[in-house]
Amino acid sequence: MVTLALRTLRHRTGGFLATFAATFLGATILMAFASLLDTAAAGVDSATAETLILMASVAGGWCLLIVAFAVTSTLTLAVRQRDREVALLRSVGATPAQVGRMVVVESALVAVAAAVVAIPAGFGLGRLLFTLLVRTEQVPASVPYRFGYIAAGIGVAVTVLGALIGALVAVRRTAKLGAREALAGDEPRRMGWKRVTAGWLLVAGGVNCGLLTVLLFSGHGVDAMQTAGQASILVSAGLALLSPALIRGMTAVLARPLARLGGASGYLTVANLRRRSHQLGGALMPVILFTGISVGTLVMQSVENRAADVPGIPASAERNIETLNLVVVGMLALFAAIMLVNTLVAATTYRRREFGQQRLTGATPAQVRRMVGAEAAVLAVTGVLFGSLASLATILPYTIARTDRLVPDAPALIWPAIAVAAVVLTLAASVGAARRALRTPAVEAVGRTA
Amino acid sequence: MSLDAREALRLDDVRKVYGTADNPVTALDGVTLRLSTGTFTAVMGPSGSGKSTLLQCAAGLDRPTAGSVTIAGQPMPTGGEAEVTRFRRDRIGFVFQQFNLLPTLTALENVTLPLRLAGRRVDRKRCALLLGQVGLGDRLDHRPAQLSGGQQQRVAIARALATSPALIFADEPTGALDSRAAREVLALLATAVRDHGQTVVMVTHDPAAAAYADAVVFLADGRIVGELARPTADAVAERMAHLTDAVALAGV
Repeated sequence: MVTLALRTLRHRTGGFLATFAATFLGATILMAFASLLDTAAAGVDSATAETLILMASVAGGWCLLIVAFAVTSTLTLAVRQRDREVALLRSVGATPAQVGRMVVVESALVAVAAAVVAIPAGFGLGRLLFTLLVRTEQVPASVPYRFGYIAAGIGVAVTVLGALIGALVAVRRTAKLGAREALAGDEPRRMGWKRVTAGWLLVAGGVNCGLLTVLLFSGHGVDAMQTAGQASILVSAGLALLSPALIRGMTAVLARPLARLGGASGYLTVANLRRRSHQLGGALMPVILFTGISVGTLVMQSVENRAADVPGIPASAERNIETLNLVVVGMLALFAAIMLVNTLVAATTYRRREFGQQRLTGATPAQVRRMVGAEAAVLAVTGVLFGSLASLATILPYTIARTDRLVPDAPALIWPAIAVAAVVLTLAASVGAARRALRTPAVEAVGRTA
Repeated sequence: MSLDAREALRLDDVRKVYGTADNPVTALDGVTLRLSTGTFTAVMGPSGSGKSTLLQCAAGLDRPTAGSVTIAGQPMPTGGEAEVTRFRRDRIGFVFQQFNLLPTLTALENVTLPLRLAGRRVDRKRCALLLGQVGLGDRLDHRPAQLSGGQQQRVAIARALATSPALIFADEPTGALDSRAAREVLALLATAVRDHGQTVVMVTHDPAAAAYADAVVFLADGRIVGELARPTADAVAERMAHLTDAVALAGV
């Protein structure tokens, strides 16, 4: 099975691209922040060390959550997409344990390779971050930048561990399916209780972070970010886990107008939303994460900027900190955006066979594109709705704790800008990938084998 | 156009060449064929003889390199996929070896889908009746995963009949079925021809399946090399054995 794993890797490099990209980017960002710890450990004055460690642990801590979640969910998706291949192996006599070993070994190899390749990239990004710290005069220019064991260790360990956990979870589910069921490509109607529990626990954890922000950090200034920043990330991750249920809920509302207005494409969209809520749920996750985290952290930062706008501190230094914070938040948002595109492209490309079947039944390429577009629109609307809800877990507590107001004093443009970005990215990634998938002739896309 | 309305399919010197300019592979080498409405024709040949390519070119799923395809007096368009699809879905039904039902749709929804895609009125009663005729009147709301292979193929036949096409193509329709399910599927195709005047063209490698047809067309090396009217399984098997030997000899 290990040999088979190596063979598969060599011949189907494309299939692992999504996993590789997620692990590589995640490891790069983690290493960049963790390298600040290396720098702090190399004997600097205590004030500088404190700045570096605070930066690495607060911003890096959020990153850790997002990267771990992103890598895990990408892996789950990647393994799920191989249900048919796994079923084929099962039907020729592979035991569930053998299949499991194969998938886990493959995932581990890809993750290790990506994390190792990420080391130079992490070094570069870390250096950039450090230069920014020096330029904003938070760290004296005399301190040398270091990239060492802590950075490499944390980067590799978190991403590889995340990948392994994702692969194990996905494999357990696939292995439980009988060979025949998996070949038939049917999916469970309900979510497992573990997933539901984990989802609600994350939501509760996020809300708890929000409460702590108000109770413990009111009037403590910027310290409130430590708990408030995590709140929307946790709630987003929790809602992302519950995404199949969210899709079913939205479908109940949107099915009628879609079926009435969308013609044959709308009809297929509704059928997919109803009966493929798990598969589409995988695509919904990154939309919720992107919206929730971006809106949450950007608004929080804006509130902080306005609140800190007090006399006494020179405006230029303040502007510098603002820039630095926005760079950090921007990095998170960018990572979430890349994950969004990554996941949607992978999920749509996987449906080549289904598109082929529709085309053979008489769907024109335009009808397939309209169907994918309608689905993406539902995903975007659902993702923006629940992502915005999740962002409130950060925004409300931070605003209360920092300014004693309820409505954040932040640019009104942030929310619409992120929402539009989420919608545009979701539509473009889905329809673009569908367009590419449609280039394969329908007969070929369906394949002659089961 | 001097076209016989009774002619369901007409191929004129159809060629199909795959591969690169340096290394061309000729799959169809000038096939000319005329089939009348209301006939059941089997296409047979050794593997690699081009029979699946023939079917796909005739059904508009693949584009011939040269030559023309005419369905019920109308020339197959040569434009893009959308144009060919619109032509195809009004005139041609297709039954695949792997059924190709949509897994998210029920049996009845799969049968009505071609009508919906074509923007035609969806007569659910008639589609349910078609499913009843293929023996699945009590399985209308089952999804493909809940049906056996034979049942799925019968849904696929009902789906092919739903648009009342001029022509139904079947590519190894019994290839994935056990012999009992295969007999049921073949009997259904034969009934569609005999009782309802459908026209069916079926690619198969099974002489027993070919015996359900009115005539067999033999293909070797991309050319039609013989025909057999009112075939029996034994006669077809004998002819196939000769063909396979001839191909083997030619390859030496």
